[in-house]
Amino acid sequence: MSQPHQYIALVTSLPDLGKLFTRKSVPISEFRLKQRMSMLEAEHTGLLQELVEITAWAGVAKYDQDLEVIRRANQVVNDLKDYPDLQHLVGTRMETRTLIAALRRRRDGQETAGDIASWGYGRWCGRIKANWSDPAFGLGHFMPWISDAHRFLQAGDHIGMERLTLTQVFRQLDHFGALHEFDFEAVAIYVLRWVIVERWSRYNEDDARDRLATLVEAALGNGSPSGIDPAVTEFPTDNSFAFEGATS
Amino acid sequence: MNEFVVALGWFGLYAPVALGAIGSAWGCALGGSAAIGAMLDSEGGYGRFIGVSLMPSSQVIYGIVIMFSLQQSSIDAANGAALFGIGVLSGFTMLFTGIRQGEVLASAIHASKAKPEIFGISLAPAAVLEGFSVFALVFALVLAGSIPS
Repeated sequence: MSQPHQYIALVTSLPDLGKLFTRKSVPISEFRLKQRMSMLEAEHTGLLQELVEITAWAGVAKYDQDLEVIRRANQVVNDLKDYPDLQHLVGTRMETRTLIAALRRRRDGQETAGDIASWGYGRWCGRIKANWSDPAFGLGHFMPWISDAHRFLQAGDHIGMERLTLTQVFRQLDHFGALHEFDFEAVAIYVLRWVIVERWSRYNEDDARDRLATLVEAALGNGSPSGIDPAVTEFPTDNSFAFEGATS
Repeated sequence: MNEFVVALGWFGLYAPVALGAIGSAWGCALGGSAAIGAMLDSEGGYGRFIGVSLMPSSQVIYGIVIMFSLQQSSIDAANGAALFGIGVLSGFTMLFTGIRQGEVLASAIHASKAKPEIFGISLAPAAVLEGFSVFALVFALVLAGSIPS
């Protein structure tokens, strides 16, 4: 099958993921998705793994330094030179991460942005540095979600924050997804969406609250939280399957 | 010069079939790929996916009809240019509508898989493209009647 026809068959073989937060389970299992992805060309399989690695938390969690993540993102952007929309997607995702990192740093008491080049990525570093005291870093007029994220962080509403972050990421994917229907970009965007839907489907809000409360208790007191395996309290670091993991 | 016009005439005579066949092949391949993919993700309704993916096959049939209507007892300097003009232009219409029909059918199959209730209405763009092919066919037949034999 020639490449355009191969991608038409691949895209139409993938079930609709629907709207975010509306599904309790993913419409296609990880096993089946991997099976379908075997229709990709070898070069595209490699690029997809790089893309998922840099956009999913599981992929970047192995790096100790922010600079290493930035370097890796630049490398991925360079490897995606034939796919400008995917390059923009990686850039936008890294910028979103930078904004969230800035919000967290400020919440943790950092008084200035400091050496933002060592932990920030993209267009907004200068604005963040210049407007550190502004709740939305001077970007609220066209990215109103930053003010909401600021409020969630101040209130300690981690679930609300997660929901907001995933919504933003999903919107970014929708924006770029609208430009592609039957090509590699469309497949890559589908997989990135799947990662988010799969992650959300694993959440149970009540369990998450209980777990958070237990973790906070354990952090304030001493010792490991009861009933929780220490191995699963960490973010996933196994990147053997790059589709796995968080996206924020 | 006359030989060149005669050659063009033969070219125009066969163009609707050749270009229509390319358009149909291309369009059916696009629609067929979408139908095959959709079948992997569906529990039923395979027949309708395959059925609509074959819609672009009409272009080659129109091309054959145009070829027969253009056929003359002899091709010469008097009718060569007319055969060339009508044949090539109607052939390109079949080629283009066949490919585009395949593309919109692939989109229709993809969309109706997620939302089965739009299956019928999603075929409207493909039907409109079919209408354009029919226009080209009908007016090629009309003009073929006025070619000097």
